[in-house]
Amino acid sequence: MDRRDFLKYSSLLSAAGVLPEFVYASGVPQRQDKIVVLVELKGGNDGFNTLVPYRDDYYYKYRKHLALELKKHKLFELKNGKALNPSLKALSHFWDAGQMAWIEGVGYPQGVLSHFRSIDIWDTASSANQVLSDGWLSKVLPQYKKGLHGIAVREGQAILGPLDGTNLNCITMQNPKSFEKQAYYIKDVDVSRQTAALLHITNKQHQLYEVGKKITEQMRVNRAYTRGARGFAKGKLGHSLQSVAGMILCGVDAPVYKVTQEGFDTHTLQLGKQNNALYQLAHGLNTFATIMKKNNMWDKVLIMTYSEFGRRAKVNKSGGTDHGTASAHMVLGGRVRGGLYGKHPNLANLDENGNVHHTTDFRSLYATIGKKWWGVNTPWQGYGLIPFIK
Amino acid sequence: MAKLGFVEARHLVSRTGLGAEWNEINRVSHLSLNQAVTQLLQQRNQRVPAIPRLSSWHKMSSLYNNIGRRNMVRRIAMNEGKVLQTWWVKHLLTTRTPFLERMTLFWHNHFPSSIEKTKQANFLYQQNLLFRRHALGNYGSLLREIAKDPAMLLYLDGNLNTKKKPNENFAREVLELFTLGRGYFKEIDIREAARAFTGWTVNKQGKFFNNVAEHDNGVKTFLGHRGNFNGEHIINILLKQKRTAEVIAEKMWHEFINVSRPNPHVIQQWANIFRGSNYSIAKLLHAVLTSKEFWDKRNRGGLIKSPIDLAIGTLRALPYPLPRRGIEHSLNIMGQGVFQHPSVKGWSGGTDWISTQSILIRTALMNDLSGSRFKVGGSVSRRLPNVSGKRMQEWLLATRPVEKVDLTLGKQRLARALVLDPAYQVN
Repeated sequence: MDRRDFLKYSSLLSAAGVLPEFVYASGVPQRQDKIVVLVELKGGNDGFNTLVPYRDDYYYKYRKHLALELKKHKLFELKNGKALNPSLKALSHFWDAGQMAWIEGVGYPQGVLSHFRSIDIWDTASSANQVLSDGWLSKVLPQYKKGLHGIAVREGQAILGPLDGTNLNCITMQNPKSFEKQAYYIKDVDVSRQTAALLHITNKQHQLYEVGKKITEQMRVNRAYTRGARGFAKGKLGHSLQSVAGMILCGVDAPVYKVTQEGFDTHTLQLGKQNNALYQLAHGLNTFATIMKKNNMWDKVLIMTYSEFGRRAKVNKSGGTDHGTASAHMVLGGRVRGGLYGKHPNLANLDENGNVHHTTDFRSLYATIGKKWWGVNTPWQGYGLIPFIK
Repeated sequence: MAKLGFVEARHLVSRTGLGAEWNEINRVSHLSLNQAVTQLLQQRNQRVPAIPRLSSWHKMSSLYNNIGRRNMVRRIAMNEGKVLQTWWVKHLLTTRTPFLERMTLFWHNHFPSSIEKTKQANFLYQQNLLFRRHALGNYGSLLREIAKDPAMLLYLDGNLNTKKKPNENFAREVLELFTLGRGYFKEIDIREAARAFTGWTVNKQGKFFNNVAEHDNGVKTFLGHRGNFNGEHIINILLKQKRTAEVIAEKMWHEFINVSRPNPHVIQQWANIFRGSNYSIAKLLHAVLTSKEFWDKRNRGGLIKSPIDLAIGTLRALPYPLPRRGIEHSLNIMGQGVFQHPSVKGWSGGTDWISTQSILIRTALMNDLSGSRFKVGGSVSRRLPNVSGKRMQEWLLATRPVEKVDLTLGKQRLARALVLDPAYQVN
């Protein structure tokens, strides 16, 4: 398709929405069948008040007014002395259905307590003292598929993070609508070899044009399907998940989507703040899952949370918790083998900063997703696989 | 000596200034290379616009220590961070010493201290003045001062580095980013350097304070040297290492020559000049700006314009009106929000400026700027120089255009076509 056709089709974009017969005539779009939705919990989520170890005496000893109690706070009991934060109640039915996995004690040796540095470590799958520039998915996705690899969606500035890499075709957007609008200005250009700098730019622009054309076409032809993606609560995560659901249903061929829930850097008065953030997370994901089920996509989607670190074992003097190390993370999906994995950290044995020692290396989650979900070997197999995928 | 002429002057001005300013290019075109470079290295005007009052350290730390009001610290920092951005962007847009600003920005990126971590706009303002004072001065002095700079002490946790609880953050980055670079030291050197820096902190008045009670007076072993070192000693040892000069020389390559791997022989030469002059930044820059590599035609268009080069350079060089809501937001979303480095590594720059997202924004911005007030005889058209299409292209592009550009278009249309060509994104 040349530039003129592109413009011509772009002008049809708004019209396509009012022509459902035409759209349905083309049949259900070809959709990706192994999608991963990464949910970044920005700020460092406190795992101990998310997956509550209600039989651990140290937990209550360390966190007087912050600790959640099974009866008093109406926790949702899982097993082995673990229960869900009440704000996650909307997701509890996934536990009953065996589609919710929790991995406890996830972290890495010599945990770094800086937000920036630690999220770099998570994004690039590096060690504490190692600086890598490409995201961990750059070592996985090129083996899995060609073309578009991932889309990071966020209101405001989206960051590629794990999707960043010279060998990846990834884009960031606020939502598909504004992306379509901006992509309209992008022309396809000939690759210019005058200088390395110009080669890089024209290559990227060509790539963007191709990816942008695919996404906008897919969204145009199947626009009616975005109507299936509704019912989300207001809020940034809800909006982002709505965009993601819409793109999945329209058959945009990205295997990875990244979204962000903010508000987890809870140094002060943590209870209300964390509950609020978790509540938005639970409702957003539940609505998303409902839509996926309705469209027979729930078996084709895997949702995983991650965060730069967990938080200090003890409550601080402000009713909050300071930067910590290991945390618990959740995996959801139709093909998830529900249960508790990893190991609850030993709260009796803290490091010199008052932080727990991690029990599960975060790279074993990456290795598992690579191997068990996409069938690809990763550099992290040595950290072991975790059987949370059927 | 031979005059530079238009094309060479254009190259020098667009690489050392902020935008290819028509009048400046024409002025420089009558100078010899030496005259032009000497004038650049003499830029001294350090007047900056007045800045609105910023909250004091005293106020911010008492808010922080009051649990109920701690949240205000973040809010104030966010607002004052924006004030700072507006302040510097205004100066970048209007300064008459753009080379000095470019180098101030260079050091701002070499020694990042973002508002997100420090939350002290006041300290960052002071730090910015420090960079401008030393921008063309002496690297040794700059390094010594930055090690005691309040914003830096907060940014890399120097203020938390005490005898009992050494914090390695600053020591690590001094070695890894400010001097030697990875691979030229061991973890033990970081630990020992951290011990030497213990006690350097910020006092209640918001000034550097050497708290001897928190200093570790034990013997340290650092890069093969042994002694009861303090921070000054560590910096002196670092300045004796060959790598320190090389690291800066390599950064200069990426600032002024091209995005590719630096030529090691040239880096050696520059590093020798730098070290031999006891770290005179002006001497190093003189070597860079008079080098064969800088003037090599093959390196024209070898750099990718930073967001500041692109946005501010365009607004300074072309008569497009400043968007009503300013340009700060655009810089932020293109990835170069000043005082807001993404990490301690600063902006990596070069090819990293270009992502699929940033192309969208860069293109949209150029579209917006060049598309405004579009009418024959309008204010934009009137203020564009009356020159041939060929000269227009030589002025605005460092290389041939990527797309076919019709040089017979009216001048405003032609300027727009050139600004929208991918070749406008390189320098």
